[in-house]
Amino acid sequence: MTASPEDNLQSHATAKGFVLTSACWMVVGTFMGLLGATELVAPDLTENISWIVFGRIRPVHVNIVLFGFVTPGLLGAAFYYVPRLLRTGIYSEKLGVVTVIAWNITLVAVVISLCLGYTQGREYAEMIWPIDIMVVLAFSLVFVNLLMTVKNRQEPTLYVSVWYVLAGIILTATTYSLGNVIWRPDSGALVGIPDAIILWFYGHNVFGLLLTPLAAGVAYYVIPRVCRAPLYSHTLSLVGFWALLVVYTHIGTHHLLQVPVPTWLKVIAIVDSIAMVIPVMAFLVNIWFTARGRLGEIHADIGGKFVFTGTIMYFFVSIQGSMMALPDVQRVTHFNNWVVGHAHIGVFGFAGMISLGGMYYVLPYITGKPLYSRLLADLQYWLVLIGMVGFTVVLTIAGLIQGNAWLNGETVYRILPEIHPYYVTRAALGVMVFVSAMIGVVNIFATFLYKPKESVS
Amino acid sequence: MKMTYKAVVFGSLIILAAVVGVVVVLPYVQTNRTTPSEIFRLRSGAEAAGREIYIANGCVYCHSQSIRTIDWGMGAERIAQAGDYLQDHPILLGSERTGPDLSQEGGEHPDDWQSAHFTNPRYTRPLSIMPAFAFLGPEKMGRLITYVQGLGFKDADKRVQRQKKWKNAAIKAYEAGPEANVKWLHEQIPEGWRRVPNPYPTRAAGLARGHKIYQDFCFGCHGPIGDGMGPAQPYLYPPPLNFTILKNRGISGGILYYQIMNGITGTAMPYFKRELESEKIWDVGNYVAVNFINQTDADADPKGIDAAYEP
Repeated sequence: MTASPEDNLQSHATAKGFVLTSACWMVVGTFMGLLGATELVAPDLTENISWIVFGRIRPVHVNIVLFGFVTPGLLGAAFYYVPRLLRTGIYSEKLGVVTVIAWNITLVAVVISLCLGYTQGREYAEMIWPIDIMVVLAFSLVFVNLLMTVKNRQEPTLYVSVWYVLAGIILTATTYSLGNVIWRPDSGALVGIPDAIILWFYGHNVFGLLLTPLAAGVAYYVIPRVCRAPLYSHTLSLVGFWALLVVYTHIGTHHLLQVPVPTWLKVIAIVDSIAMVIPVMAFLVNIWFTARGRLGEIHADIGGKFVFTGTIMYFFVSIQGSMMALPDVQRVTHFNNWVVGHAHIGVFGFAGMISLGGMYYVLPYITGKPLYSRLLADLQYWLVLIGMVGFTVVLTIAGLIQGNAWLNGETVYRILPEIHPYYVTRAALGVMVFVSAMIGVVNIFATFLYKPKESVS
Repeated sequence: MKMTYKAVVFGSLIILAAVVGVVVVLPYVQTNRTTPSEIFRLRSGAEAAGREIYIANGCVYCHSQSIRTIDWGMGAERIAQAGDYLQDHPILLGSERTGPDLSQEGGEHPDDWQSAHFTNPRYTRPLSIMPAFAFLGPEKMGRLITYVQGLGFKDADKRVQRQKKWKNAAIKAYEAGPEANVKWLHEQIPEGWRRVPNPYPTRAAGLARGHKIYQDFCFGCHGPIGDGMGPAQPYLYPPPLNFTILKNRGISGGILYYQIMNGITGTAMPYFKRELESEKIWDVGNYVAVNFINQTDADADPKGIDAAYEP
């Protein structure tokens, strides 16, 4: 590793805080997923324990993975690379640490409120109003810190990673407020069909305007660094960035194709879902051509390995997503485990992998010493990869069984025994992912705590 | 293009504002004018309170309330319309059908079936993977049942009234003793069906299939030995039928078939015509006749031409 002079002048307290936040909450988030998966296999195992009933555990799992594991990991990397790319210190480490603490308090509040049944009952927008305010506040603090860093910068050029993180944070703060109908504190919802439209506008933008830009920012930073190669194309960066903002924001209604919403809105959602190929391939071509002929360097760097794998998953999840927006495909895939598989390859395979990669890449720089154990990190990589690909395969099979059987006129109840083996396999894979999270937290904490044998100044 | 932070921040916010205008505001203006559908009515206070419990426990993660044109299962008699959702904040369309759609659940079952099912879903539906909700306690569970029985609004109200009407008749018959009860039950079956024997011979393979169906669908109420003492029994009134006292009481294959197919509205006995095809109903009927009633009319005359598969 090569520490730059700027690295040694900074405490990196914010980046460290977000990395530790992500590592710890990954354990919680994956455990909640494992618990939910187990309840689908053995529903009476947790009989009559109200606060971990499936319907409460599922939103805890989803929200903690999104806002506890993936987002903080991506932010941890961002709080390292933004100052680094701008040749300046972060605007305020103190503000950053306050943000990290506020973020963690918010996450604790999310778990407690949802487990106690305080929810707005809207997927991805479950949190009650006071927590909504805390979330928006936390995003605003991140934005202020990053924006002021940009204003104070020494480097005149803004690299593509900086565009993505700035846009991702401000747009998420905005769409989160819209999607959670924050001006109606009592219900956090509109009424009827308009509620469904605004909910899925926001719900899809959690991926489109939060996870994707932040993950793209990390990939745009890590891959050229690991490959020691300049970015393939500035033009493609521009195309990918602006196309993402224009196209991704239009497509939320593809969740409502089988619902009585205006047909013209469905048409927009379908057309733009197909058009997602433009921002996706602009980004991927740019990254992959940067890495062309340099896979050895990527393989040698554990951060690069996670990030590059994440870009491959992005390809799969995006192509699948465009395909799933076609009404004929959705006749089979809607309402079943196919979609759950799709969500796992997206949030975990793409954004989660890149989040882990970003953390592993920046860890040596922010701690000033090598990673505690490359072996443990590699083990975590393989457990995550096998677990995540495994989820996708078994859930896709289960979804096809359900969707085709329903189309054929069979009832939901009749299909339950048919998908049971896949639920069992999914729970087993969940054990692998949970174990990988524990390995990760041990490795990351150990990196902070151990004393290297020889100094690496 | 030179990317300044102002270009990034203001540019992306302007794009977002334009898109929100198109995909949120315009549809809002249009869909906000939706008029009530023909089944729409306002929810009672008790139903609204039950809906809070439905939301708090995340029922929406496994149950949709959104019947599509391509659906066959529960509620498929009526395609969802925008005018059904006019008082739903939040709207509970759902994104997953781990359990059945509930848009038209009101009146599908009587209240006592619902309370057995919520106490532990496997009491009435042995294959179910739904969590048990006994922890809600009787008061909250009652409110939840009130909400569920109102799903479908005016159509649900008609079904609930039908359940109540026939429950009164079924209770009266049950309390008049087994002889009168069986007589009453048989009277509710069209004459032609009563005279039909099971047209297929009793064979080991058919009994094995019947055994499987019985365990997956019947066992929770009628019990493993057919005496009506399954785990759901304490919650149900009239209680599940005890098959073991039905010998020489005029049970025919046709009677069993009709009751399994159509259910006995008013009692906890649901209809199974959506879940079991013809062969499965004949097989489970004969399984009950052979094992529990200890008397079967399988293959008796008049039976017509033997089916081609029979040896």
